[in-house]
Amino acid sequence: MNLREIVQKIEAYLAERFPTGKLNYASLVEHKLVPVHKLSWAYYLGGLALFFFLIQLGTGLLLLFYYQPTVSDAHASIEYITEHVPGGALVRNLHAWGSSAMIAAVIVHLLTAFAMKAFARPRELTWLTGVCLLGLTFALGFTGYLLPWHQIAVNATKIGLQSIEQIGQYLPGRMAAWPSVIKETIQGEPSVGQATLSRFFALHVIVLPLCMAALLGLHLFSVQVHGMSQGVDEPPRRYEKFFPIFLIKDLSLWGIAFLALFIAALCIPFESFYAYPLFEPFNPKGSTPDGIKPEWYFYFLYYPLELLPFWVVLLVSTAAVVVLLLAPWIFKNTSRRTLRLLAAVASLYLFVMTVFGEKIYQLFKH
Amino acid sequence: MVDAFILVGLPYLAIAVGIAGSVWRLRNDRYSASARSSQFMENRALLWGSAPWHIGIILILAGHALALLWPGLWSALLSPPGVLEVVEGTGMALSLLCLAGIGVLLARRITSARVQAVTTTMDLVVAGLLFVQVLLGLLTAVHLRHGAAWSTGTVAPYFWSLITLRPDMSYVADFPALFKLHLAGAWLLLMLLPFTRLIHILSVPIGYLWRAPQIVIWNNPRRRQQAVDAHITAESRREFFKGFAGLTVAAGLLSLGVLEKLFNYFKGPQPDAQAEADLLAKKLRRLQQTAEERELELERQRQKMILVARYSELVENKGHYFIDYQMNPGLAFKGKDGLPIVLSAKCTHLGCTVGSQVDEQGRILCPCHVSYFDIATGNPNPGAPAKSPLPRISWALVDPSGKVLLSRKAGGPLVGQADPAMLAQCALYITKPGSQM
Repeated sequence: MNLREIVQKIEAYLAERFPTGKLNYASLVEHKLVPVHKLSWAYYLGGLALFFFLIQLGTGLLLLFYYQPTVSDAHASIEYITEHVPGGALVRNLHAWGSSAMIAAVIVHLLTAFAMKAFARPRELTWLTGVCLLGLTFALGFTGYLLPWHQIAVNATKIGLQSIEQIGQYLPGRMAAWPSVIKETIQGEPSVGQATLSRFFALHVIVLPLCMAALLGLHLFSVQVHGMSQGVDEPPRRYEKFFPIFLIKDLSLWGIAFLALFIAALCIPFESFYAYPLFEPFNPKGSTPDGIKPEWYFYFLYYPLELLPFWVVLLVSTAAVVVLLLAPWIFKNTSRRTLRLLAAVASLYLFVMTVFGEKIYQLFKH
Repeated sequence: MVDAFILVGLPYLAIAVGIAGSVWRLRNDRYSASARSSQFMENRALLWGSAPWHIGIILILAGHALALLWPGLWSALLSPPGVLEVVEGTGMALSLLCLAGIGVLLARRITSARVQAVTTTMDLVVAGLLFVQVLLGLLTAVHLRHGAAWSTGTVAPYFWSLITLRPDMSYVADFPALFKLHLAGAWLLLMLLPFTRLIHILSVPIGYLWRAPQIVIWNNPRRRQQAVDAHITAESRREFFKGFAGLTVAAGLLSLGVLEKLFNYFKGPQPDAQAEADLLAKKLRRLQQTAEERELELERQRQKMILVARYSELVENKGHYFIDYQMNPGLAFKGKDGLPIVLSAKCTHLGCTVGSQVDEQGRILCPCHVSYFDIATGNPNPGAPAKSPLPRISWALVDPSGKVLLSRKAGGPLVGQADPAMLAQCALYITKPGSQM
């Protein structure tokens, strides 16, 4: 195969993934159809995740006007927002609940997209960008968690970063030192301090959202030009029009989601699920308080880390990431029935670990 | 004399005639107790006259009734700041709406030949009177501002004095003629009520709200289809307009609310002087704390030895926290042999800070993942998440003259000797790794 043929092949590949010929009113709006079947509800999840992302963008921007990313002022400025700024508690609560809602929506979106084989040709790149977006979402969650600079935030971040260093023990020779160098590079100094806060702030506020916007653009673009995937093995019998029927339903769901989120943010302070002393400002001289754990969306990783040898978790999670990234090629010929089963098993695992993780942990540890 | 007639005689006359006349008409001529329709004759102007008129007048009358019947409740409603202005503004806007409506109705009765056919003289008189009455009300409201408020102390007691048969016109006697005319107009209209189309006030078809819908069926299939089509067109247009109007209003209210919140959010809190001072003090405290921590850092970069505690402060069962040369927490204890035990307090598992309380077995606990460390050796308990021991930290005991009596490098042997009596006056220092004593 000579160079020319290779270039032609790449061209053909990209042309199939990005059919720019479909970029017109007729195929994007007029003739676009959405299949109607028993899994149709899953078509709304991506939009829901997008909506929560927009909420995060808006509330995050508002918080940015008062938040001060320094070790001495971070916690005080958060307190100021919550207790003094009109509507500040609401905005912060919206941001906190919104992050949980966004991650939940993203995870369910991933599981259903997998179950519906939404990654089948020509949508491989859509899937790939989606998995990257998942990673970015988790990264946003992790970096954002540190910013309030209270006990639980700093200590949980310390523990999370320390896990990187642990990889060192499995690497041969001089490579064993690399993870701790990487960790310190992320941290910016030997222990979590001002440098870490500045870095996480920059990541959380500028870098990750920009990456997110770029990837999201690509993701949405490919979703729009390819239309909704079929979703079930047998060709769907019924279709509805994307415009206006599906769009109106989608927007009404956004309305309902906003109402639910707003009421939750108005009535339930997100910190009501933690013991109070965890929200005291971080004290570098004291001992780590009891009950440090990550947010619920890291439980599926956290409790196995607590219970199993580190290398098992490392191996399994690396394998999981690889499978996720390569899903379009690994499951190329798998039927949707099998994929649904796999997704159900994964959902069961996530559900059990998230809801009963602590019970399981106590069962084995005490 | 004229006052007495207008303010006392006319009211009683009107009440008597109104009640007696209404009873008479409802009993004797029951099916005439409505307003004769002119919709068949003319439909277009009717909509633009009747709808604004009825919407406006019903709301205005409701306001009047509330103020007259429950003056206490009414003034309570008006008491929050701004409400009076809102009520007054709304009232004026509504009366303008009424004027426009009744104006259209009047003009229509006068100009349209088809409507003229079903118009009686009394219809014109009533319409003219209503126009004048609303105009008088509006002028009163403009001339004597805040009528919604002052009426509770004047018109309401006057009204109740009439109802309770103890007429007292002194409440309203000093008002200008403009307002007295408005009062007189009201009584006049009440008096005319039984004998004109105004009687339809008493026969509002409230039952329409819950009765079963009437179905009109054409026998002619073509007409039937036409009727259905026309109905569908009209209905869908109506639904569209309703939805559109609803959405517009909702969006407007929503953006108004959001804008208000946003504005206040950016405006920020306006704390009083005391609260502001408290906030500033708190902020300064935090800054000082941070400065102290940074000073520790500087000290560790410059000094070869750092004071941890006086020897006499060390105890066996509770560790003393300090910051070591790596800016990580450390713990100092007194050992069983009386010599200091100085350990890093950074858990070798995931870096949590180990607790300082020593249990019966001479161990301290890392709360994060439950590793117990023996303070004598630093080793974790078997099966703990932590695999390696807590590192030892180099230390030195220094007597008051500044002489190092005893010292121990991390993992090295004890250097120097001291008699136990001297120890009590010594202070414990940690020494910089790699430096010579």
